[in-house]
Amino acid sequence: MTATMSPILAARKVTKTFTNAKEQHVVAVDDLSLDIHEGEFICLLGASGCGKSTILNMFAGFIQPTSGEVLLHGQAIVKVEPRCGMIFQSYALFPWKTVRGNVEFGLRMKGMSRAERRERVADFIAMVNLRGFEDHYPAELSGGMQQRVTIARMLAADPEVLLMDEPFAALDAMTRQVMQEELLRIHQQSGKTIVFITHSIDEALLLSSRLIVMSARPGRIKAVIPNELPVPRHIAVQFSPQYGELKSTVWSLIESEVRRHGAAPDR
Amino acid sequence: MSAVTDVANERPTGVAAEPTATAAPAPVRTRRPARLFAISTLSVLFVLAAWYISTDRGWVSPVFLPKPGRVVSEALANLANGQLGKDIWMSTQRVLLGFVLAGVFAIPLGIVMAVWPPAKAAVAPFVSLLRPLPSITWIPLTMLWLGIGEAQKVAIVFMGSWIYILLYTVESTKRVDPLLIRAARSLGANDLDVMLHVILPGALPGIIAGLKVTLAISWSCVLSAEMIAAQNGLGALIWQGKDWGNLALVLVGMLCISIVVLVADKLANMLERLLLPWERHHRT
Repeated sequence: MTATMSPILAARKVTKTFTNAKEQHVVAVDDLSLDIHEGEFICLLGASGCGKSTILNMFAGFIQPTSGEVLLHGQAIVKVEPRCGMIFQSYALFPWKTVRGNVEFGLRMKGMSRAERRERVADFIAMVNLRGFEDHYPAELSGGMQQRVTIARMLAADPEVLLMDEPFAALDAMTRQVMQEELLRIHQQSGKTIVFITHSIDEALLLSSRLIVMSARPGRIKAVIPNELPVPRHIAVQFSPQYGELKSTVWSLIESEVRRHGAAPDR
Repeated sequence: MSAVTDVANERPTGVAAEPTATAAPAPVRTRRPARLFAISTLSVLFVLAAWYISTDRGWVSPVFLPKPGRVVSEALANLANGQLGKDIWMSTQRVLLGFVLAGVFAIPLGIVMAVWPPAKAAVAPFVSLLRPLPSITWIPLTMLWLGIGEAQKVAIVFMGSWIYILLYTVESTKRVDPLLIRAARSLGANDLDVMLHVILPGALPGIIAGLKVTLAISWSCVLSAEMIAAQNGLGALIWQGKDWGNLALVLVGMLCISIVVLVADKLANMLERLLLPWERHHRT
């Protein structure tokens, strides 16, 4: 459907090899090619050790591929790329900055004036329902609230792509569900391209517009599944027969991987 | 996250629950601290009483230990004639000057060493060589180079302090979470931004903890320098007391040192709380 558009983000024959402590080469990602188009919500789904995080770190520019290239708007990503903002599982908030100080960080780096920052930041804090907590330090907030601060911080910095590495994995099931719905809402409002890593099939089915199933060791793409569940999506989609069918398709793809490697994603 | 934490300042904090996190969870109050405080007080009173009784009854000769009353009257006399105040001020001045110079020298050097390995390689051999030397071993050389004036006392404090400040600075700078540096870069920070917004604030708690430890060390440096060659200062006061066979004066000097260092520590704690508002909420 988007084949004629040029992709915003792409991987071309990317291989990434690490050398471990025993001087052995470990292939984390093997000959992977992938096109991601503007506005897509991509979920990378796979068992642990399948190289998902490696791909994300290459898109963020934290690491470079051993061979092949990762491209943003057709240009190779060779250093940390602020246009691809990363949201970490462990939040990575600055403990010495308040909620406001964290959220405005990206704007401050762009040299925006204090008054202008205040105004912009207020909107993003409201977007993630943290009004009233502007002057709190991260340590005063619960895990769910901290993760909302990181999302606000990233949205305020206004990257073109949001990279999310299992952002909700550390949250309890209920908070997680609330966060998933908020993220869907934010995606609809902002139209940002999102690349989201998860090992939960349910999470991937709920969030994604396209689902990429990875095989493990070395990491390769096993299947690309367009997610045609109706949008705007709500948690209740999980009770539809369409959802059940899609889930069993995805599970059958993953099952063999899990049996091979013993690391099960959440069912 | 700081290497050395003041155990007495660590308060248990409630875990903030979503969505009604509270600003400052009230410390859990129990009766135990009060009881422990009573035990401390009793313990001090017991030792004071033992001192009083043993000297009053003549069990211990005043040649070895003066009566508490003698110490109090000696202290009052020296306070009244201004001698004690002057000595405290002289020592404090020397400590502060040497300590501040050591900090100004060692903190930037430590940060550079932590982020730039060649700097570390260049300085590390000297740190290894100088670290085992107690500050008093510098007395002969510093006297030869600087005489016996103020500069020599300050130099002794400096030599006894800078390495500790350096080591704490290097260690706490290296321990800044690399993930936070990545996060900052991902948000568009350049090298200078990373230094100002991530590395410095991240290392600050550890550096301040190191400064607190070093301050007490600086005091012991100045006292040993003053005992060997000085006209004034608390170390000289103690040495005078010894030369004149005035043990009460020696005890007054020792007591003053304890009190001054305790007060300095309290001030440092207040300053720490002021400089590190986020640390108050840390649950670690």
